[in-house]
Amino acid sequence: MRPLDETETTAVFEKLFKFVGNNLKNIVENPSHEGPDSNSGRYCFRLNKNKIYYVSESLVKRATNIARPNLVSLGTCIGKYTHGGSFHLTVQALNLLAANAKHKVWLKPQSEMSFLYGNHVLKSALGRITENIAPGDGVVVFSMSDVPLGFGVAAKSTQDCRKLDPNGIVVLHQADIEGSQKSSQPQHI
Amino acid sequence: MGKKPEPKQKVILPPQLPPEVSEDEIEVSDEDLDFVRENRDYAGLISALDTQSITKHVTRVADTKEDDLEALYEKRMKKNALKKETEESSLQVDRVEALPVKTLDGKLYYRTVSKTENGSAQEETGGDTTDGDADKGLVKLSKAERRAKLKKMKKEAKKHGKEVANTEVQPASQAAVLAEVKQELTAEEAFENKKLKLAELGNALLTNPESNIKLLKEMIQIAKENDQSIVKLGLLSLLAVFKDIIPGYRIRLLTEKELEMKVSKTVKKMRYYESTLLSAYKAYLQRLIDLEHQPLFQHVAVRCICTLLDANPHFNFRQILLGTVVNNISSTNDAIRKLCCSTIKSLFINDGKHGGEATVEAVRLIADQVKAHNCQLHPESIEVFLSLSFDVDLRKSEKADDDHRVKNKKNKKRKNMDESNQLQQNERKKSKQELMSKMREEVEADYKAASFTPDIMEQRQMQSETLSAVFETYFRVLKHTMESTAVRPEANSGTSSDAVGSHPLLAPCLKGLAKFSHLIDLDFMNDLMIHLKKLASGSSNSGNTSDKLPKCLTVSERLQCCIVAFKVMRNNLDALNVDLQDFFVHLYNLLLEYRPGRDEGEVLAEALKMMLCEDKQHDMQKTAAFIKRLATISVCFGSPESMAALVTVKHLLQKNVKCRNLLENDTGGGSIAGLIPKYQPNSTDPSLSGAFASVLWELNLLSKHYHPAISTIASAISNMSAAHNQVFLSNISPQQALKNMSLEQELLSPQSGSIKLNNKRKRANGATPSASTGCTADSSSFDEDELRKKLASHFMLLHDIKENERLRRELDKTTMSLELYKQYKKQKKQGSKTKSKA
Repeated sequence: MRPLDETETTAVFEKLFKFVGNNLKNIVENPSHEGPDSNSGRYCFRLNKNKIYYVSESLVKRATNIARPNLVSLGTCIGKYTHGGSFHLTVQALNLLAANAKHKVWLKPQSEMSFLYGNHVLKSALGRITENIAPGDGVVVFSMSDVPLGFGVAAKSTQDCRKLDPNGIVVLHQADIEGSQKSSQPQHI
Repeated sequence: MGKKPEPKQKVILPPQLPPEVSEDEIEVSDEDLDFVRENRDYAGLISALDTQSITKHVTRVADTKEDDLEALYEKRMKKNALKKETEESSLQVDRVEALPVKTLDGKLYYRTVSKTENGSAQEETGGDTTDGDADKGLVKLSKAERRAKLKKMKKEAKKHGKEVANTEVQPASQAAVLAEVKQELTAEEAFENKKLKLAELGNALLTNPESNIKLLKEMIQIAKENDQSIVKLGLLSLLAVFKDIIPGYRIRLLTEKELEMKVSKTVKKMRYYESTLLSAYKAYLQRLIDLEHQPLFQHVAVRCICTLLDANPHFNFRQILLGTVVNNISSTNDAIRKLCCSTIKSLFINDGKHGGEATVEAVRLIADQVKAHNCQLHPESIEVFLSLSFDVDLRKSEKADDDHRVKNKKNKKRKNMDESNQLQQNERKKSKQELMSKMREEVEADYKAASFTPDIMEQRQMQSETLSAVFETYFRVLKHTMESTAVRPEANSGTSSDAVGSHPLLAPCLKGLAKFSHLIDLDFMNDLMIHLKKLASGSSNSGNTSDKLPKCLTVSERLQCCIVAFKVMRNNLDALNVDLQDFFVHLYNLLLEYRPGRDEGEVLAEALKMMLCEDKQHDMQKTAAFIKRLATISVCFGSPESMAALVTVKHLLQKNVKCRNLLENDTGGGSIAGLIPKYQPNSTDPSLSGAFASVLWELNLLSKHYHPAISTIASAISNMSAAHNQVFLSNISPQQALKNMSLEQELLSPQSGSIKLNNKRKRANGATPSASTGCTADSSSFDEDELRKKLASHFMLLHDIKENERLRRELDKTTMSLELYKQYKKQKKQGSKTKSKA
């Protein structure tokens, strides 16, 4: 377990920024109420065996007691480095992203399962969509009852969605809560 | 009296007995009739003279009831007497004085001075008025009668023409006399005369414009004089005349070819009439526009122009009229501006009158005006757009037409199939039918040409032109506002003088956008939303400084931006449910900036209704945050605003069952609290405020509110969680609630004051200490003022007295010292005397 170096930090932050925009500040400055300290600490990012973790500081302190090879996991795993050296978010980051998401898509109830089976979000599946999504932005997918289902990348802007035919792809699937296998496969960005 | 009404066809015959017209003519025997029949040539004159009055009489007797008869006859007797009198007088009095003026009582006055031309006019009007009477009297005319009458009219007109020719020779000889008499008149009499003359001319023109059209020039001449009141009168009377006689079509200037062609007399006459009217109208307009620049006449001139435009938007020189009206639309003078605005509005509303062309022109002119003045106009100048109406069904109707055509084709085919069999049998029938169809087509074409049904394509084009001009204006205003807000922080508060009017057009512009949003092209929509978002965020970048810089958009304006964005979305984009998150964020923050006294409560209520009550889907976190914030602000707002907020809260809680967790007495929010474990009241993003971690403790406070309505609704909301699954939706909207409460407050305010006083008297140490202390503080401050005044006056009095005493003392002192000095001198003198003696 070690803190991220500069290139790693930019890679992680850039990826997160695509999803949460300026709310990235909230993620970084989020006070943690863990541990015995009366004054709350913060959360920080740690790298352990190619995986990036979002951990509270008090937990980091305690985790130092365990030797690196023995440490399997700590905090929330939000992504990992592939063998190619690129950073990918994993579905465990969904909770973090959903709370701070800038761009959201709500799915109609009948098309939730389709998404959870790993299909892309089609226009016909859209229940709602936030405005001003640009192609390439990170989008968090919700059910109509505001349950986060997964996330992906916008293929079309909100404006284009109006003119899109019902079978056009709006959001490219990246990860969902049904099976996280997809996140280990090569991805669209 | 005893005569039966004649069968009407026989009118050409010499009349039987026009009873009581004159005694001489009563006895007409059959022999006479025969005689006349035989010698019709001789009798022509008589018939020409009499038939009119006779027909009048006959029909009148036939048509009026017995009660009216007497009155009728009385009138006629009077009239006859008058006629005789005038005839006599015209014989006796010399030509200058020949023209009597008839007052309303029926008395005749002889004017001492008048032009001879007038004379002819007066005579004509006399004749014409009787004609007019006859017209009214003849309710039902058979064709024969009508023809006869027309002939007679023509003859009369000819005669008049001759008379005019005769009289026109005379003025030269009369001019000298006239001038002399004029000089003798005092100014007042001259004024009176002018007035009378104007009235006469106007009357003459109104009664028979065709033959008196020349008089227009004379009236215009009067309007060009120096006297102010006369000019005003002249302008107004000309206005009345023009309003009445301007035809319902546009007069086209004749081409040379047409001028060369030979035309009949009537056409010539018509052309003459039209050209004179047109030139007079032009001169009149020129005069008006000249006067419009003079402050003294501005109001009158603008009023004339507005009325003309309103009455005859189809007529020539419309552009000039429109130009002046639009120029004055943002005049600083309230009356003028109102006039112009109402004229333009009526122009927009009645655009059937001019086929929509004037609308396009007016809108374009206003757009140019806005451009020229860099959006610094009075808001009313844009508000007129709101009365525009666009026909959305134009395209639909065309489609329907297409359908019809297709159907018709089918029908025709079928018909042809059917008919072909029959037609072979009968050739003649076929040719006949062809002829019929040809005729029908011709008739249809004629009908179309005559009925002025506007061409759909043309209309559509005009509409799109209008729309583009309107939206150009709106976008210009938006852009201008954006620019000015962007420049502001750099420009500093140095130029705060024009702060209030920096974007006067924004409010009407937003209103218009909301109204016409369904007509915007989808491609513009994105830009529009971006603009609105920036405006709604206003100075959120420099959020805290908004109060310091008065130039920034006010809270109500920013709320309006949010509302417009929602309206635009709702009107256009039903197909795709778009979440306007940013606008929610703005609303969330604006709620804190809202101040009850400063900002408009209606706008807030509308925003609450549009954005929270009517929006179908809500993020749970966001809803909870809004509920919490609304409850918080309703504690510190006045009762109308807090009522509106509470109604919204109730609505939201009813729709979102999960949000009722806020009503539970369980801090921390349980599992749905999300990532944020603590409520952050100052958060700018509603979904990050962690409202679920808090409780709606405000409701408990509000249930003890002094206003009964608020306390009831607060307790109703807090009991909502107990009454589960109750589908009870209140119909009242926040706007309605606000209105009710503010009305109630206005009504109650004087009463409540007295009630408070009573309470105070009853219970010396009142139950509500804060209120009572406030009251006493108020009264003490009131007393202090008066006390100060009284004390000041008292002090001044005392001061004066003291001063007086002091002065007196000084006076005494000086007099004493003077006397002492005198004594000393005396003593000295005596001493010296004694010395000298010694």
